[in-house]
Amino acid sequence: MNKIERRKFIKLGLYSTAGVLCGSLFAFSKIEQDANVDNYEALLKFDWGFLVDTTRCIGCGACVRACKIENNVPESYFRTWVERYEIDKNGNIRVDSPKGAIESFKTDNFQSEDIVKAFFVPKLCNHCYDSACTQVCPVGATYETPDKVVLIDKERCVGCGYCVQACPYGCRYIDHEKGVADKCTLCYHRIQKGEAPACVNACPRSARIFGNLKDPKSKIRRILDQRRYGQLKPDLGTNPKCFYIGLDKEVV
Amino acid sequence: MLKDKKHIIAIFSVIIIIIFIGVIAGIFFSPESFGKYGHYRWNANNENASLKMVNQNINTCKECHESIYQLHEKDAHYSVPCVDCHGAGNLHVEFHKSGDSTNISAKQLAVMPKEFDFEGCLYCHRKLKARPADFPQVNQEEHYKFLHITDSKTKCIECHNPHEPIFLLTDVKQSRIHPIINRCTECHSKNPEKSFKEVSDHPAIFECKDCHKEVVNDFNQKPHHKYIDCRTCHLYHKENETTGRIYKNGNAKFCLLCHEKKPFKDEKYPPKIDWPSHIGNLSILQKSDEKICLSCHSEQIHKMDLKVKENPHPKNWRPEHKDFAKEKPEMCKRCHTTNECASCHLKNKPQTHNDSWLKGHSIAGEKNKTSCDFCHKQNSCNSCHKVVMPHPKGFDELHKEVVSQKGREVCMKCHKENFCGQCH
Repeated sequence: MNKIERRKFIKLGLYSTAGVLCGSLFAFSKIEQDANVDNYEALLKFDWGFLVDTTRCIGCGACVRACKIENNVPESYFRTWVERYEIDKNGNIRVDSPKGAIESFKTDNFQSEDIVKAFFVPKLCNHCYDSACTQVCPVGATYETPDKVVLIDKERCVGCGYCVQACPYGCRYIDHEKGVADKCTLCYHRIQKGEAPACVNACPRSARIFGNLKDPKSKIRRILDQRRYGQLKPDLGTNPKCFYIGLDKEVV
Repeated sequence: MLKDKKHIIAIFSVIIIIIFIGVIAGIFFSPESFGKYGHYRWNANNENASLKMVNQNINTCKECHESIYQLHEKDAHYSVPCVDCHGAGNLHVEFHKSGDSTNISAKQLAVMPKEFDFEGCLYCHRKLKARPADFPQVNQEEHYKFLHITDSKTKCIECHNPHEPIFLLTDVKQSRIHPIINRCTECHSKNPEKSFKEVSDHPAIFECKDCHKEVVNDFNQKPHHKYIDCRTCHLYHKENETTGRIYKNGNAKFCLLCHEKKPFKDEKYPPKIDWPSHIGNLSILQKSDEKICLSCHSEQIHKMDLKVKENPHPKNWRPEHKDFAKEKPEMCKRCHTTNECASCHLKNKPQTHNDSWLKGHSIAGEKNKTSCDFCHKQNSCNSCHKVVMPHPKGFDELHKEVVSQKGREVCMKCHKENFCGQCH
């Protein structure tokens, strides 16, 4: 009785293994015939980078307004925002960004005679090469595209918020309406059509520069080769891809 | 041999079965295209890329609004894209490209917002310490006070056309660096005590009156000088063609910023005119005339004859500058580089002044002495000849005294031994 059952069991096991193998072979062979392979290879030619010239920024907030409309960003959240740093003669530092600077800035925070140094720093997702948010996502909803943009798969995201906590730059938020995490996409829908991201398109002072880091002739590559630039929190090892010209030591 | 072989096989079978079930479930339940090029759903990439574009590019606007684009392109706002003031424009473009003019709700949505009053302009132009100093900024209260604008809610666009903004620089570039000077090292031989990150922090090293004394003096007696200074109307000296240029080349739009009659402005100050009826009322002017305000009103502003070449150096400066340069070379270097000396003294020496010039120059000197004076000082002949050259009229009667005073050697430099014997 026992012997027969064991034989049956082994038979069953073998058949099911063969079935799984055949099935998986069939499944995998189907994927490899996909038409999107060309698209993937084409995207490998790009490595989108972002450069902010803080010496040119006037803090008008045109980028913030353009981003808000372009990506339908919910009220009180920002994918890009402008920070203002003011340092007075006693060494006091004030950093502010009222409503992300969507309505620009109204007044100086210190007496304007006391201010020795003041400047604007626009912020956005750094699209890090080794991004913390991609690593912590438990469902593979945050990913890096072949052209090196960190994006969110909104169908896959469960809204757990790990990535929001993991991001050292505070660039992510939870869209409570849809229940998913969201952030700057470098306007992926625009750059795929050959347009600049909305904030770059809106900047009246060309303080934001966007381009392909793999192309030696691109404007961003030429500027990065010539000028001195910094990154935000480089010590964290995230390898951010948003570069800043004229970055002050006070900027975090 | 293990005693409970059976159990181990059973456990491993269960594990293997679970793994199989997991793999099968993974294939069935993981979404399409997941894990194709990495631990993510590849199709999500296409979804992200296929969203609709909202903000329009300026080139899209240009397709229909060519004339405004051209105007905008030439003026200070050329780098400001349309979307910054007019809104994203996606519905506008969609509606007008569809060609369906019957859809009224779509038509309403397609209207671009143009409600930018001064708050919209002040997003960029409000005076803030954090803004770069060379960016035009305005303190709205002060600006309105200066222009005697009575209604504080007046919009910027009442005077300034945003496509062609004519602006007045106020605090920008306080320092007046000399037009000829391009590098710090041209004035500062050593490291300067203080470094000036912004050019505007540098103390002024020249005033307009240094070169344009007559004009500035004249201006100071005319009504404008109480309210404005040179920089209000004139661009700074620059290397390019804008040197000393007046805004908008002095066309009426610039003067009208202050002088056009508008309901929100003070009636008396500054004096107002009706525009464009001002031109029509004067029979001497036709509407098509390309006159600028200065064509008639220049007398009320300042002398227009600049005579820059005489300033700051006097008329006969060229022959006299040699001594000055020897005495006070530092003064010259404040404005000029040493290369500039070489541009005349080496290259531009007249071709006649070659090695044999010394022997034959007497003939040229007798013929046309003024051409010598252009570069050489009046008494430069004296340094060699020790007498007035060429000999003045009536010298033959006076020469006896000269010979007895200075000796025959002076004469023998040019004249031969037997020259005296021709008469004596």
